[in-house]
Amino acid sequence: METPGYVALSRQMVLRRQLDVIANNIANMDSPGFRGESMMFVEYLADTKDKVPAGLRKISYVQDIASVRDLSEGAKTVTDNPLDLAINGNGYFAIESENGERYTRNGSFMLDGDGQIVTTSGMPLLNDNGQPMVIPPSAGRIDIARDGTVSYHDKEGGDVVEVGRIQVVQFENEYALKKDAQLMFRADGQDPAPAEDAEILQGFIEKSNVKGVVEMTKLMQTVNSYQSAGRVVEAEHERQRRAIQTLAGRSA
Amino acid sequence: MRSLSIGATGMLAQQMNVEVISNNIANMNTTGYKRGRTEFHDLLYQDLRRVGSASSDAGTIVPSGVQVGLGVKAAAVYRITEQGNIMITDNTFDIAVNGKGYFQVELPSGDTGYSRAGSFQLSPDGDLVTPDGYLVQPGITIPLDAAGVTINASGEVWVDIQGQVAPTNVGQLELATFANEAGLEAIGDNLFLETAASGAANVASPGTEGFGTILQGALETSNVNVVQEITNLITAQRAYEMNSKVIQASDEMMRSVSQMR
Repeated sequence: METPGYVALSRQMVLRRQLDVIANNIANMDSPGFRGESMMFVEYLADTKDKVPAGLRKISYVQDIASVRDLSEGAKTVTDNPLDLAINGNGYFAIESENGERYTRNGSFMLDGDGQIVTTSGMPLLNDNGQPMVIPPSAGRIDIARDGTVSYHDKEGGDVVEVGRIQVVQFENEYALKKDAQLMFRADGQDPAPAEDAEILQGFIEKSNVKGVVEMTKLMQTVNSYQSAGRVVEAEHERQRRAIQTLAGRSA
Repeated sequence: MRSLSIGATGMLAQQMNVEVISNNIANMNTTGYKRGRTEFHDLLYQDLRRVGSASSDAGTIVPSGVQVGLGVKAAAVYRITEQGNIMITDNTFDIAVNGKGYFQVELPSGDTGYSRAGSFQLSPDGDLVTPDGYLVQPGITIPLDAAGVTINASGEVWVDIQGQVAPTNVGQLELATFANEAGLEAIGDNLFLETAASGAANVASPGTEGFGTILQGALETSNVNVVQEITNLITAQRAYEMNSKVIQASDEMMRSVSQMR
């Protein structure tokens, strides 16, 4: 008897969570290399004890089974900063964090006090041997080739010194990477393989792949669906009240 | 409702973005100013359904769980130390650095400040000072009877003294470089301080390996690109609006709940 209310409730619960996901996407609209997410809903079928015709025997609730990451590439913008790097194609930068290796698409790097190439939170970018790269303070221009080779001129117009090749990795199942704050991903058991079709663009930043218009539409849709689910609950409440009044009125 | 506070983190971050952009635009004509850029990072994620957890006793696992992020924060405002344009002023004590390096200035506290702004002047005693009267290090004193002052590319200061045929060398300007220029602490008045993040200063004469050269009679303008800043301002404003819509939407949803009986 009470199920319609619970079905509507299951809808409202997932919509709330969807709003959280949309809010996070919009909040991160300007985070470089951010990957937007959307909720995936599935039907959850429950048996009823009521005697109803065969095809209608189950009650269908809704469940948010997964948040699905949008893996499309974000737009690239020119910054002309020599340590702003964008990956064109599939792949992630490998970063050494205090909790082990992390992967990111955020390519805004800088040099720290020791001349290491680090993220803005100070974690070193790794080369293909898994080592941080160091640029001496006396270096002139820093060049990063499309294949990720980092080199610098030992003075303005001087000799070119190579310091290594930036490690760009890819994964068999990108969806299984876990987000780990600060725009990093965690592999959790998956082994990274060298990326095949990725190239590095120097002086570019990959923006977030969140599309404002799409998110705003989803936002409006979510609010409207939430309100209509609310009306179902209200109608159900009204139905039960009437039923009680009518039935109680008869017996009394 | 997480979305309310997520929307709020978005608005706060964009507000900071607008502040940085407005500071860039305000300093568009400040000598030696380096533009700032706000960098955003996402906050922690809550696992509502863990990735890789078992979904049945047959050993199947959840391919991608439900992770809800908690918003955004401004992780860093970092200075882009790209060279500004060189503007010719023909003023004797306007000195620009072409390439890497900062002038050293003795602050009233006794600390050394670093500056790219080379609009120097002379004190009543003939010392080379900044517009605030702080001494340039190493100290250079121009004799009062000097007829002309020449500063060459490697920072040597020569003066012509009336009655003497050959110019006299009265000092040598030096520059300081840092491993991470973006890590210097800005203290206003075009001055920076050394920090642990910047690394220690390397001091040498201009023109040495890895150091810029000196250009007399010129100033380095700010490296602010107005078109870029205005575009960023528009994006930031729209992003701010969208975040406020999220808050509005959460509010509407909560209202519809409170109106239910």
